[in-house]
Amino acid sequence: MDKVLYGIRDLVVEYRTRVGTLSPVDHVSFDIQRGEVLGLVGESGCGKTTLGKALMRMIEAPGVIASGQLLFDGVDLMQLSRRRMRELRGSRISMIFQDPMTSLNPVQRVVDHMTETIRVHQPSTSLKAARARASELVDRLGIRQSSLGDYPHQLSGGMRQRVMIGLALALRADLVIADEATTSLDVLVEAQFLDLLRELQAEFELTIVLITHNIGIVAELADRVAVMYAGQLVEMAEVHDLFRDPKHPYTQGLLRAVPNIRLGRDDLYKMPGSPPNLIAPPRGCRFNPRCPQVMDICRVRDPAFELVTPGRRVHCWLYQDQPEIVSEKVQARL
Amino acid sequence: MSPALRRYIAVRLLLTIPMLLILVTLVFVILRVLPGDPAVAIMREGASEEQLDTFRAAVGLDKPLHIQYLNFIGGVVRFDFGQSMTRKLPVTQEIRTFFPATVELAISAMIITGILGVFSGAFAAQHRKSPADYGIRIASIILYSMPIFWLGLMFQMFFGARLGWLPVSGRLDPGMTPERIITGMYTVDAVLTGDWALLKDALRHLVLPSLTLGLVLAGIFTRLTRANMLDVLEQDYITAGRARGLREAVLVYKHGLRNAFIPIVTLLGLQLAILLAGAILTETTFSWPGLARLVIDRIYDRDFTTVQGAILFFALLVAGMSLVVDTLYGFLDPRIRY
Amino acid sequence: MTTTTPDAVPVRPPLLVDENVGILRRIWRGRIWYGAEWYITIFGALILVFMTTMTLMAPRIAPYDPNEFVGAQFTPPGRGEQALLARAGESPVGPGADLTGLVIGVQRNQNGVNLARQLGANGERFQDQASMLEALQAGQVDLIFVSQEKVPDALAEQPGLAVVTGNLGRDFLLGTDNLGRDILSRLMWGARTVLGVALMSALLSSSIGISLGLISGFLGGAVDRVLSLTMDSVYSFPGLLLAVAMAAMLGPGLINVAVAISVIYIPTFFRVVRGQVLSIKEELYVEAARSIGARPITILARYIFPNVIPSVAVVFSLNVADAILTEAGLSFVGLGLPPDIPDWGYDLSKGQSFLVAGHWWMVTFPGVLITFVAMGFSLLGEGLSEILNPRLVKS
Repeated sequence: MDKVLYGIRDLVVEYRTRVGTLSPVDHVSFDIQRGEVLGLVGESGCGKTTLGKALMRMIEAPGVIASGQLLFDGVDLMQLSRRRMRELRGSRISMIFQDPMTSLNPVQRVVDHMTETIRVHQPSTSLKAARARASELVDRLGIRQSSLGDYPHQLSGGMRQRVMIGLALALRADLVIADEATTSLDVLVEAQFLDLLRELQAEFELTIVLITHNIGIVAELADRVAVMYAGQLVEMAEVHDLFRDPKHPYTQGLLRAVPNIRLGRDDLYKMPGSPPNLIAPPRGCRFNPRCPQVMDICRVRDPAFELVTPGRRVHCWLYQDQPEIVSEKVQARL
Repeated sequence: MSPALRRYIAVRLLLTIPMLLILVTLVFVILRVLPGDPAVAIMREGASEEQLDTFRAAVGLDKPLHIQYLNFIGGVVRFDFGQSMTRKLPVTQEIRTFFPATVELAISAMIITGILGVFSGAFAAQHRKSPADYGIRIASIILYSMPIFWLGLMFQMFFGARLGWLPVSGRLDPGMTPERIITGMYTVDAVLTGDWALLKDALRHLVLPSLTLGLVLAGIFTRLTRANMLDVLEQDYITAGRARGLREAVLVYKHGLRNAFIPIVTLLGLQLAILLAGAILTETTFSWPGLARLVIDRIYDRDFTTVQGAILFFALLVAGMSLVVDTLYGFLDPRIRY
Repeated sequence: MTTTTPDAVPVRPPLLVDENVGILRRIWRGRIWYGAEWYITIFGALILVFMTTMTLMAPRIAPYDPNEFVGAQFTPPGRGEQALLARAGESPVGPGADLTGLVIGVQRNQNGVNLARQLGANGERFQDQASMLEALQAGQVDLIFVSQEKVPDALAEQPGLAVVTGNLGRDFLLGTDNLGRDILSRLMWGARTVLGVALMSALLSSSIGISLGLISGFLGGAVDRVLSLTMDSVYSFPGLLLAVAMAAMLGPGLINVAVAISVIYIPTFFRVVRGQVLSIKEELYVEAARSIGARPITILARYIFPNVIPSVAVVFSLNVADAILTEAGLSFVGLGLPPDIPDWGYDLSKGQSFLVAGHWWMVTFPGVLITFVAMGFSLLGEGLSEILNPRLVKS
């Protein structure tokens, strides 16, 4: 079996608005290995949720996947018909959403959520058989059998999120995308959720993409981490390597900004500046207005997302050969 | 039925009483308290002092206001609206005679409105900002901006006068009488007694009035459905459903409508009010002998008691329907039921 | 590997929405920002402008007096011309011929007599066309007026007639009604009535509804509950029925009709304002104001009221649209304005009886206009609603 489950090549997502076109995902390429947990971190608005949706080809108007390849298990999803793509969703790639209260249909019982999902993808399943499977699933997830007949509002937040996992795994998906799945949960429930996820990952050999702005979760659960900024991937590495030795200035700033109880009162680090306007991003490297280690070349040319050391990719001129800068007038004279 | 639902219905039931009281008082105020002499207003100029006095005595206007009010309330409670001043019949009997026609018209109009409104609204919401969406929106605005009676007249002119396909007034052709009257609604009675000729005639007469009323109301209903559907379709659970591989049509028409239906049901009560208002105009235009037209006719007839009784009846109807709709809402929304 | 820097970097800035430009410029820019909603709102606003213009200019641009009988009855739209017929061979020649002293037979109305007088002749009235034709043949009258379109029939019926000239008489662009009044003028003058009544009732509804809504929302408690229940009850009652009852008891008259209509919309304003007040009350900035000791009346006036205005504008616009329709409805059932005031609804109701005879123009034009204007205000309201409270698309 191929080691790479999902290869994303030069993905570009565009939003065409009345005031201009912006790219929340701008020429992004990376691989997702089979069986790993890949963390995708970044500030709000950096494009990670859009990337997550793009992985399932769920970008809606006014957004569109402008170009790129989505090689899932060898098949380019961009080439699939809408019907085939729909068949994939829920059965081979599935998503867990942020707010379980609003992500479940308030007028549909839990069991119906599950049986519907099962029977959409396996139409030959009888209602009775589907209900039996839902029952098993619910057991495995630590939900009471009686909750099957309940409506979403009757369950607690943690239970609802487990239901969401259940729905994502009802058909034994290969890839699970968790989009800010714990953001709306309180800390204890969040811990339970992560434990459950870890167990299930081991048991069902899941591949998980963990989208979050919370670096702590990533540290706990992920094997590899990808850091995103302003629509681009800026760093990607094994989790321990990243935390021990962050190379990109943005990653460094991100890790320094995490509050540490041992720090003194005035030592809280704030990264200067704010994320750029994606309609008119800065020229050159997008991080250059805020980068403490900015160089001239950074303001002119965008670096590539290259391998710096085995297993480590960084999008920064600090680690790449820099070209010479020549003024256009001079160039013309030469 | 869960205790939560029981409590909800009980509360709603209790609230109906003050609501009724307010409505009845409102009618009382309008009919008797407003500036201007009711006797003069109804009898118009040219009535002698004697006639006015007879009128006042018959209606009870000569008594002090609070006595009038108590008698009024008493009448409502006992469902006794007095006697018609021009027909020498109990008002309640008049109501019973004419109300079924209005019901028949209302139901057939609602069917048209419901089907047309819901589906075009859902479709427009699903294909937001497409030409179809704008087309549906514009069409619905034009429809509800039309005076109902004007649309009725246009229909009469076109289908009645020009093409001669359909009758333009009344409920039946002259000479056609139902054998038995069970519900008072000729279509229903025809089916119940197996009188197919009657059914055909009644339906032919029903087409234009219900189409008129139904279309105009559909304009409003489409707008409401679309607005609610837009809200619903943006919800996370629709996106989550899409992520599980559910088909668009299923998402919109099964999950979407099911959720949008709940706020729409609460608006059904309001729809009833608009329906009755529209019925006044439709019945007048098509000479449809219903209760709404009766009000207008009897105003000209100077039949104060019947007018009063009919309006009161409508008030009771509205309060009752409001209760029914709210109860229905309680059953539909699982968040209330459990 | 070298790279070059262009010396000047033109970067297109995004739409700067807080630039200091005039109101007209801003409205134009809105075209890009708001898209289709913009066109809808502007269309509605244009209709409003059109109505206002017609209202103000009616006395000057209306061709005829709306209450005067200026034409033949039931003239179809267009050029309601009269043709002059004479006995063959005896006619004074061509248009412009001197008709002084001659007698012209006219059918039934004063208009023909006036026309005859204009031409220098005398008019004599007849009950119907048949007796008029007889008189012509008999020599009692020298000429007769016949409606232009009826000339071929008349010539076929009665041999020995010749057409002296056609194209006499006045143009009635939209025809005349059963009393010979010009419909176009009536519609123009009617605009004043309709707009006046609608605006008056809307202002009445809004002032009462807004005040009650503000008070109820702000005070809360028992006052709020009672008022809300009352308003909900009134709201659920059929509007037109309420207006019919009130109009019947108050009697005809401009003010009475406006009052009757206004009652229907008080609950709408009340609800919207109260809802807004309740949500604004919870906002942090109100709490902040309260914590620095601002008086309730100040909070109400400075913080809450300005935020209520956008929704109120929307409701107001929709209210006017509905009021126009309700007023037309009232006129239609005969409970509207007195007959001496030109009114679209009244024209419609009068026109209904003559529909059977095929006189479609009395009913069509007022109806089209009512629809048009009601639609305009509705579009304005809906467009404003989208612009002020945009439905954000979640992505």
